Amino acid sequence: MTFINNILKRLNYTPLPPRGEWKEFIFKIIDERVRIITAGLNLRELRSIMRGDPPTEKPNPRYKVITTSFVAHLRPRYYPQAATWFTHTFRLGFFVTFFFVVETITGIILMAYYVPFPDQAYGSILAIESNVFFGELFRDIHRLGAEAMVAFSWLHLLRTYFTGSYKGPRSFTWLTGVILLAITAWLSFTGYLLPWDQLSYWAVTVGTSITESGPVVGPTLNLIMRGAPDIGMGGLLRFYLQHVILFPLLAILFISIHYYKVSREHSISLPAVVEELELPPDKKKEYNRRIDLIPDLLSHEIFLIALGTFVMLAILYFRWFHSPLETHANPQSTPLDTKAPWYFWWLQGILKIDPANIIENMVNPILTPLLGLFGIEFTLELSKLLDSKFVMGLIVPPVLVAILAFLPYIDKNPSRLSSKRPFAIVWGISWIFIMLALSYMGLPEYGIETPAATRVIQDLAPEEGEGPLREIPYAELTQAHGVYTVGEDYGRDLCPDIVYQPDHDKPDDIVIGCPQLTAVFNQFSERLQIAEADGRLPDLEARIIVEQVQPGMVRVTPQVDWNDPETGEAKSYEHTYFLHENRVLGSH
Amino acid sequence: MKRVQLEIVLGTIFVLLSAAIIIILGIREPQRLADYVLQQRARQIEFGASVFQTNCTACHGSGAQGITGIAPSLRDEHFFTQRLSEIGWGSTLEDYIVSVVTTGRQVSTRPQYVGGGSPAMPTWSEKFGGPLRDDQIRAVAAYLMNFEPYALGLLPTPVPIGPVVDESTPEGRGQALFTQAGCIACHTLTGISTATVGPALDGLAGRAASTVSGLTAEEYIHQSIVDPNAYVVTGYTPDVMPQNFAEILTEDQINDLVAFLIDRTQ
Repeated sequence: MTFINNILKRLNYTPLPPRGEWKEFIFKIIDERVRIITAGLNLRELRSIMRGDPPTEKPNPRYKVITTSFVAHLRPRYYPQAATWFTHTFRLGFFVTFFFVVETITGIILMAYYVPFPDQAYGSILAIESNVFFGELFRDIHRLGAEAMVAFSWLHLLRTYFTGSYKGPRSFTWLTGVILLAITAWLSFTGYLLPWDQLSYWAVTVGTSITESGPVVGPTLNLIMRGAPDIGMGGLLRFYLQHVILFPLLAILFISIHYYKVSREHSISLPAVVEELELPPDKKKEYNRRIDLIPDLLSHEIFLIALGTFVMLAILYFRWFHSPLETHANPQSTPLDTKAPWYFWWLQGILKIDPANIIENMVNPILTPLLGLFGIEFTLELSKLLDSKFVMGLIVPPVLVAILAFLPYIDKNPSRLSSKRPFAIVWGISWIFIMLALSYMGLPEYGIETPAATRVIQDLAPEEGEGPLREIPYAELTQAHGVYTVGEDYGRDLCPDIVYQPDHDKPDDIVIGCPQLTAVFNQFSERLQIAEADGRLPDLEARIIVEQVQPGMVRVTPQVDWNDPETGEAKSYEHTYFLHENRVLGSH
Repeated sequence: MKRVQLEIVLGTIFVLLSAAIIIILGIREPQRLADYVLQQRARQIEFGASVFQTNCTACHGSGAQGITGIAPSLRDEHFFTQRLSEIGWGSTLEDYIVSVVTTGRQVSTRPQYVGGGSPAMPTWSEKFGGPLRDDQIRAVAAYLMNFEPYALGLLPTPVPIGPVVDESTPEGRGQALFTQAGCIACHTLTGISTATVGPALDGLAGRAASTVSGLTAEEYIHQSIVDPNAYVVTGYTPDVMPQNFAEILTEDQINDLVAFLIDRTQ
């Protein structure tokens, strides 16, 4: 023993304790290490945190962590009790951060499999879904997290607006928040292109084409974004790099600034009723009671993480959400309905407004006859001067964002109480409705006229996605070989003689006839006959042809012939759909 | 119960449930992956069928059954059992299809098929100036491979339903023949075909009567089908159009075709 201790002393180690003091000796060693790692908390303190006991030493060692630890220094020491009311914050900002972390983790996993080149990108997504264990799950979480992050950012903005928390010292925090909203939307949008399917390719083509209308630098800007006149290898790589490097870094920078201002400079705002109203002293004291980060805020956050993780997994488990994947991007074929991601529908809606045309229609009916009285022939032709895409795409949205960003410097009302800022509340609610209305206008259904026959067939079987025609079971179609003519009376069912089993695992479950094909045919007939009756499709002749073309594959061809109502010229439209029996398997 | 205690209980339940979900999904995952591969193949075949319909039917027929004199069938037994050894191909048939579609054929390998002229089959890959991407060519190959059970007689081949035309009139029968006999492979006729190997047939009825003196419109078109070299339109070379339509088609069928062409191009 003495021999070992002599050696240890020579080597500058602590000598071993005598028998009977080992327990304290080991405890002391561990305690020291724990204190160093936790930046100030020893074992006894940790134990009292776990038990919910008060701090064991003075000054409070739990605050020391926040001054000494790098990670913890980003966090607040405490928030006042009233600032932690659930109905005050709804934890929206927390969840945005949560989703950002989820996106980072799943994003890095997906990056291991994704190839950012046009001829391999789509294939690599297919490989992720078909050849990577949990690949589909990772992709679904990443997509769900992205959409949730955008949604929660908007909700967080609305909450901050309606509680008036952007006022006073927090005005700069608000500005960074608006920047973060833009970064989030752009992160989401750049990710949109990566699968390289029709949906993403055309949404991004339409999106970037807005910059083209800009004066002087517009075409150059468009070229820089796309990497070439059309989005191709250069464009995809540029979007990819923005998505995985540039904007994540910007997001981390701005999240840090934004969060540090909240956590260390101004705290979360108190509810206006606590801050501005006269309250009884005991209540005031309770509302300002400190809720410490360690352990109360932290344990609540761990709970929220568990909740968020569970809700996301449950949504995916029950297949309430599934990340879409359309057919391979095809620059030669523009889909009938191009659709931006939902958080940009409002932008698409704005682009459908033609301000020059509206002003002309308002002014000309009055101005032209008025000037006519004086013998002057004049019609206002504003649309020649104003490019609507430029005005509505490049002027209006940035102005709106600028108004939003500089709101605290515009709204000088000092009070945060709803009752003392009625105008701001009405203004906010109106904007919610305006954004909803614009989003509705952004839908492809709004304001775009499609020829009747095309529309009917397109609604039965959209170019992308499924639709009622593609959802007819193969078992039904493979027996329904034939030509079904619109106008002929087939009785209750098109093919009453066939019998099939919709599910192989349930032998007792039998379907007689072809109810789903019949339903599709009836819808096809009805809508075409309405169009015939109101003169859009005169001399209508239409049919649906069902043929077996290969083992396990049928071809369904809706055909419409009519005479053009104006020229009388014979016209026809048809579309072929190949449907394979394995096209929908298992849980898909 | 204090709020923090409730959160600890609920949080633990959430963590356990999340773990359960991940375990269940993990157990299902191998089956899901297997299903996805099958489903992917199914969608590839569907996609290949539509690519084939747009690009290949003009020469190879609407159901890949081939057109006499122009291009071979891609769904007969010979194609699935003999073709690879005939050409000396070492890899799979699917790869062979991909290779031929990608690079095309400068010269037909079989004298009985002239193809679309020169080259016999164009290069289809966008790498060599064609219109198709690699995944589209792969899909076409997947579609053709799916004919195997029909080609080998393992499954009875269903009777196709042709284009819906009125078969009771000569014009209607002629329209069906126009596709089946392969005219669409080389001639443009608005609304039906867009090929440019031979002269376009739009407006043919108007000029046919005055093209060769002494022949009526009907006689001229009839002669052009059975003996294409008798009169070759300026700018086109003789011997490109198959000389054997008189053998392939009956006299009635040729008359139906003439009636259709006159009717359609007036």
